[in-house]
Amino acid sequence: MASLSEEVLLVVKKVRQRKQDGTLYLMAERIAWGPEGKDRFSVSHLYADIRCQKISPDGKAKIQLQLVLHTGESTTFHFSNESSALKDRDAAKELLQQLLPKFKKKANKELEEKNRMLQEDPVLFQLYKDLVVSQVISADEFWANRLGDINSADSAVSNNKQEVGISGAFLADIRPQTDGCNGLRYNLTADIIESIFRTYPAVKQKYSENVPHNLTEKEFWTRFFQSHYFHRDRINTGTQDIFSECAKQDEKGLKSMVVQGVKNPLVDLLSLEDKTLDEGYGVGTTLPSTSNRTVKDSSNSAIIKRFNHHSAMVLAAGSRKGEAPADQASETSSTDGNSRDSDFFQPPVKKVKLQEAIEYEDLQRENRPKTVALNLKKSDRYAHGPVPLQSQHYSTSQDIINSVSYIQHEMANYKPNLTQVLSSTAASSAISALSPGGVLMQAATQQAINQMVPTDIQGELKHLYVAAGELLRHFWSCFPVNTPFLEEKVIKMKSNLERFQMTKLRPFQEKIQRQYLSTNLTGHLEEMLQTAYSKFHVWQTRRMMRKT
Amino acid sequence: MKLNIDGLLVYFPYDYIYPEQYSYMLELKRTLDAKGHGVLEMPSGTGKTISLLSLIVAYQKAFPLEVTKLIYCSRTVPEIEKVVEELRKLMEFYSKQTGESNNFLALALSSRKNLCIHPEVSALRFGKEVDGKCHSLTASYIRAQRHADPDQPVCRFYEEFDSVGRQVPLPAGIYNLDDLKDFGRRKGWCPYYLARYSILHANIVVYSYHYLLDPKIADLVSKELAKKSVVVFDEAHNIDNVCIDSMSVNITRRTLDRCQTNVDTLQNTIQNIKETDAVKLKQEYRRLVEGLKEANVARETDVYLANPVLPDEILQEAVPGTIRTAEHFVGFLRRFLEYLKSRLRVHHVVQESTPQFLKDIFDKVCIDRKPLRFCAERLQSLLRTLEIADIADFSAVTLISNFATLVSTYSQGFTIIIEPFEDRTPTIANPVLHFSCMDPSIAIKPVFQRFQSVIITSGTLSPLDIYPRILDFRPVTMASFTMTLARTCLCPLIVGRGNDQVALSSKFETREDFAVIRNYGNLLLEMSAVVPDGIVAFFTSYVYMENIVASWYEQGILENIQRNKLIFIETPDAAETSMALEKYQEACENGRGAILLSVARGKVSEGIDFVHHFGRAVIMFGVPYVYTQSRILKARLEYLRDQFQIRENDFLTFDAMRHAAQCVGRAIRGKTDYGLMIFADKRYARADKRGKLPRWIQEHINDGSLNLTVDEAVHLSKHFLRQMAQPFKQEDQLGLSLLTLEQLESEEMLQKIAQIAHQT
Repeated sequence: MASLSEEVLLVVKKVRQRKQDGTLYLMAERIAWGPEGKDRFSVSHLYADIRCQKISPDGKAKIQLQLVLHTGESTTFHFSNESSALKDRDAAKELLQQLLPKFKKKANKELEEKNRMLQEDPVLFQLYKDLVVSQVISADEFWANRLGDINSADSAVSNNKQEVGISGAFLADIRPQTDGCNGLRYNLTADIIESIFRTYPAVKQKYSENVPHNLTEKEFWTRFFQSHYFHRDRINTGTQDIFSECAKQDEKGLKSMVVQGVKNPLVDLLSLEDKTLDEGYGVGTTLPSTSNRTVKDSSNSAIIKRFNHHSAMVLAAGSRKGEAPADQASETSSTDGNSRDSDFFQPPVKKVKLQEAIEYEDLQRENRPKTVALNLKKSDRYAHGPVPLQSQHYSTSQDIINSVSYIQHEMANYKPNLTQVLSSTAASSAISALSPGGVLMQAATQQAINQMVPTDIQGELKHLYVAAGELLRHFWSCFPVNTPFLEEKVIKMKSNLERFQMTKLRPFQEKIQRQYLSTNLTGHLEEMLQTAYSKFHVWQTRRMMRKT
Repeated sequence: MKLNIDGLLVYFPYDYIYPEQYSYMLELKRTLDAKGHGVLEMPSGTGKTISLLSLIVAYQKAFPLEVTKLIYCSRTVPEIEKVVEELRKLMEFYSKQTGESNNFLALALSSRKNLCIHPEVSALRFGKEVDGKCHSLTASYIRAQRHADPDQPVCRFYEEFDSVGRQVPLPAGIYNLDDLKDFGRRKGWCPYYLARYSILHANIVVYSYHYLLDPKIADLVSKELAKKSVVVFDEAHNIDNVCIDSMSVNITRRTLDRCQTNVDTLQNTIQNIKETDAVKLKQEYRRLVEGLKEANVARETDVYLANPVLPDEILQEAVPGTIRTAEHFVGFLRRFLEYLKSRLRVHHVVQESTPQFLKDIFDKVCIDRKPLRFCAERLQSLLRTLEIADIADFSAVTLISNFATLVSTYSQGFTIIIEPFEDRTPTIANPVLHFSCMDPSIAIKPVFQRFQSVIITSGTLSPLDIYPRILDFRPVTMASFTMTLARTCLCPLIVGRGNDQVALSSKFETREDFAVIRNYGNLLLEMSAVVPDGIVAFFTSYVYMENIVASWYEQGILENIQRNKLIFIETPDAAETSMALEKYQEACENGRGAILLSVARGKVSEGIDFVHHFGRAVIMFGVPYVYTQSRILKARLEYLRDQFQIRENDFLTFDAMRHAAQCVGRAIRGKTDYGLMIFADKRYARADKRGKLPRWIQEHINDGSLNLTVDEAVHLSKHFLRQMAQPFKQEDQLGLSLLTLEQLESEEMLQKIAQIAHQT
C-alpha cells in the first residue's frame, strides 16, 4: 500500500462513518478512514481538497466531525469511543486546524510552478540540467531571472484569479445565536476574519500584537464582539478595552480621508457655496452646539459615522489591490519620455467633469463611439521612432513627388544600350562562377553542415549554444553595473562563464577534434565568450581606475 | 442650427432641439420684447441654460442698444462654471458659423477664495481668511503706508493690476474662473479685481445671487451695472430664502462679548491716535459735518461691507452731530451695546416689531432713531480713519451697527424675537436676538426696479403664481413647460401603506411609531434589492434621519440593506459629507451599488445632481415640512397672511412640495436618463399636495399609483426598470421629443409646440 511510506500523525480508533466502525488516520498529506478489519481506506481526502471542518456543538449526544470539501461534498465522522470520544474528536480537530491552513496557503505553489515549467519546456529543462545540475550556477540564480519573466508574461494566466471584494454586510453575516443560557455565540469563518482584517487594518494590527502572546484567538474575538468598537452605538465606557485605540485610529483615518478632500469638484460641498453669509446674518437656525447634545444624539451620530466609515473601508478594501499595478504601469510608462509631462496636458478632473455635466448627448448629431485620444507630446517621434539628435534632412512630399515623376520619366525614356553589353561567353562564365560549386561560391559550405556533422554532435552543439546563451544573458543583464549586488553578480557570472568554457566547451572541442571535424564549429561560441571577457576587463580596469 | 424665433435669428449650437426649448425661447423673446419680468419653469435636463443663453445672446447681437448686458445669477460655484462652459460652446458655434471672431466678453465672478492666485493667500482654506489676508495686503491705507515704508508686504498681483490692468480692457472672450486665473498669472494681474473691474464693460456676467441680492455686497460689486441689463436667476426656487437671509441678523451673547472687546479696541486706538495724529480725527469730523460721503470714496479693496440697507434708503444727509466725533460715537456704541445686553437677560420669549423696539430703546437709554440709522455708515468711516488692518476682527461690531441701521430704517417686514433658550434645551440659557426679515420682496425690489428684464427660472417653480406674490412683482410672462418624452423615463410612485396596511406618514403624531419606521425600512430594503446602482433617499430633517437610522440599526434593517448595497449617510459636516458623496459615486461606478441617505433642504438636496446610474431611484420619506414650531417661521407666516393674503397652510405646503420636487428632481437630468421617484407618505396623494408638484412630474402620476403598498411599488418598479433598461437610441426620440430643423418648421409641430407652454 502506498501509504505505508507516509508518516502517520494520528490514529483514532472507533470512529464511525456511514454507520460502519473503523479507524481514522491523519497523515502528513491526507486524512483517511478505513473500516475495521480491512487494510484499505474507503475514505481518503487530501488536505488540500478540504475547505473546512465543522464540529458538532458541545452537549450534543453524537460527537461528530464533518469535513467539507471544495467540491461541496462532505464526510462526517462519528467518534463513538464512549470514554474518550470528545477527547479524540478534539485531538483530531486540533491537528486538522494546524494542518489545513498549511495546505491552504500553498507555500509550495511556487515549487509546483517551477516543476510545471520544467516539464512543459524541454529546452528549459535541458538548460536547467546543463547549468544547475552541473553546478555552473545555483538554482536560485537560475530561477531568479526566470520567474520574473514568467510572472510578468504569464500573469494573465497564473494571476488570473480576480481579486474578490468584500461583502458590505460581512458583519451582518456574523449572526449571534443565543446558546440558551444568556450567552451569545458568534460563528466566525476564515473569510469573515479576512474581511474584518481587510476592512479594519487597526484590528489586524491589534490581532498581531496580542495573539497569541497575550490572548488566545478565542479571547481576542470574544473581546472584539464585546467591545463598544463593534457595537458602536454604545458610548465608550471602559478605557482598558484594547479596541478603544482602534476606534481612535479609525477616527483618525476618517479624518485624514476628510482632510484629503474630494477629487471631483462637483461633489465638493465645501466649495459649493460661493459666498457664505457672514456669521450672525441669516435666519438659519443655529446648529445645536455639541456640548448640550444628549448621549443618545451622539450615539446616533456615531452610528452614522460608523456606516460611512465602514462603507468607505469596504470600498477601499475592494479596490486597493487593483490600484497598485496601475500605479506601477504609470511609473514605468513615464520613463519613455513621451508621457513624462503628460499629466500637464491632461485636462484636469474639473474640466472633464464640467464638460460631462453640460453635455447633451442626444442633441448632438453623431454619437460616434468615444475613443481615447492619443496623447502625444511629440507627434514626430510617434511617426518616426526615436532618432539620434542630429539635424535631420527630411524630404518633403513635393520632393518625393518630383523624384517619382522623374523616375517615371526616366523609365519611359529608357533605351537599352545594346552596344555596351557583355559578351555571351563572359556572361555565362560569370553565371557558372556564381552558381553553387562555382569559384565564387566556395565559402557557402555551411549549408551542408547538417550533412557534414553527425546529429549527436549537432544536438550537443545546440545545447551548448542554449547554455552559453543563458549564461551570457545573465552576464549582460548585469550591465550597467550600478549596484554592489550587480557588481558581485557580474564577477560571479564571469567566473561562471570561465567554468562553462572549461567544463563544457573544451571537452566538446576536444571531442570534435578527435572526430576530425572543423573546429570552426565552436568559433562563434568562443567569440561570444571573448566579447564578454573583454567587456568584463574593460569594466574591471575602469573600476580599478575609479577606485585609485 | 439656426432658428427663427419670432423673427429673431438664433444660433443654437446643436443639431437637434427639444420642442420645449423652442417653446421656452419663444416665451423668453416675448418677455424681452416687452421689457418686463418673467417666471419660467422648465424641467431640469431639458437644456434650459443653453436655450436662455442662445436667445439672449442673439437678442444682444440683434439689438445691441436694447439689451446691453446679461447678468446670469446661479446658486453654486459648479453651476456658475457650467453656465460659462455652455456659453463657450455657444460662442464657438457662433464663430464657426459666421466666420467672425467673437467680440463678446463674458466672464464669471466669484469670491476671492476661488480667484486668488497669490501663493500664500490662496493657500488658505476658508473664504473669510482669504478675504482678511487679501485685505491686509491691499487695503488703500496699507498701500499708502507702503510709500513710507517699502518693506511692508505687498500683493504684487494687485499692484500690477492697479498700475497697468485698468488701462487695457480685458480682451473679448469667454473667461471661466480658471481662465481668469490663467490670464491673471500670465499677466501678473490679480484675477479677482480684474474680474470685478471687467464686469462693468462685459457683455455677459455670471455670478452668484449674493452679488445682486445682498445689499452689503451688491452695493460694492454691482452698483454700476447698466440699467439695460437682463437679469436671470437660475435655480430660483429658493430665491425668497436667499433674500431673507441677506437681510436678517442674529445676535447672541457671544456676539455682544466680542463686540465689547471691539469697542474697547476702538477706544484705545482713538486714544492713541489722538496723542499722535489728532489732525486725522479732525479731518474726519470735518468731512462728516459736510456730509461728503464721496470725500473718502471707498476704495474697492477695502472690504468693509457696504451699508446693509438698500440703496434708495440711504440718506443723503450729513451724519448727525451726536455721533460725529469719534469718542462720542464709541460712547454711543457702548450705550447701545449695554442696552442689547440688558435685552438678552430676559427669561421669557419676547417678540416685538421694529417701532416697538425703537420706542423701548429711546425710553430706556435715550437713543434716537436718527443716529441709529447712521450707525453702519459712521462705523465704516471710523474704521477707515483708524486704519485698522484686519477687518475680520471687527465683524461683531459691524454686525451690531448693521443691525442698528436696519432696525431703524425699516418699520415693516421685520420682526424682533428674543429667545432666552433653545426650545429643545429649556434649562440651558442661550439667549438669542433674532432680527428677522419676513418679506423677501424688500431685498429683491431694487433689482426689479433697476433692471429692465428679470427672468426667474428653475426646474421646479410650481405653483408659478406664488412667486410673483411673495416677491411682489408683476411678470409679463409666466409659463411652465413640460418635458416631451419619447418614453416615460420617470416613474413617480406614491407609497401610502406598508405591506401590513399601516399608513405611512412622517407627520408628527406617527413620527416615532415603530410600525411606520419599520415599513420605511422595509421599503428601502426592498428597493435596494430591485434598483441597480445608486439610490438616494431623503428624509424630512436631520434629526428625523438620525432617529430612523438608529432604529433601523437596532432592528437590523441596515444590515440587511448592506447585503445589497453600501450605505452612505449625510452628516452635518460638509467635508465628511463630500467624502461620503464621492465614495457613493465610486460605489455606483464600480457596480457595487450604494444608497445615500440624505436630508431635504440639506446641501446635497440643493446642489448635487445624481445623473444616470448615480441615482436610479429617489425615495422621499415623508413630506419635508419646515419646522413649524419656530417663532421666526410663525411670524413670517403671519406676515404673509396679512400682507399677501397667502394662507399659512398654502405656504407651508408650497414650501414642502418645492423641496420634495427638488429632491426627486435630482435623479432626472435629461431625456436619456431615467429614474424612479418614490414619495413615501400617504399625504402626497391628496390633491392639494400633488397639485403643487411641477407639471412635468404631476403628469406622470396616474390614479393607480396614488396609494400603493410597498409590494405594489416594488412590482411597478421592477416593471419600469426592466423597460427602461432596453436600449434607447436617438432615432426613438426623433420627431417626438427631439426635432431636426425641418421637423421643427413643419406646421403640425409648431401647433404641438404651442401646447407645451402652460400659461398661467
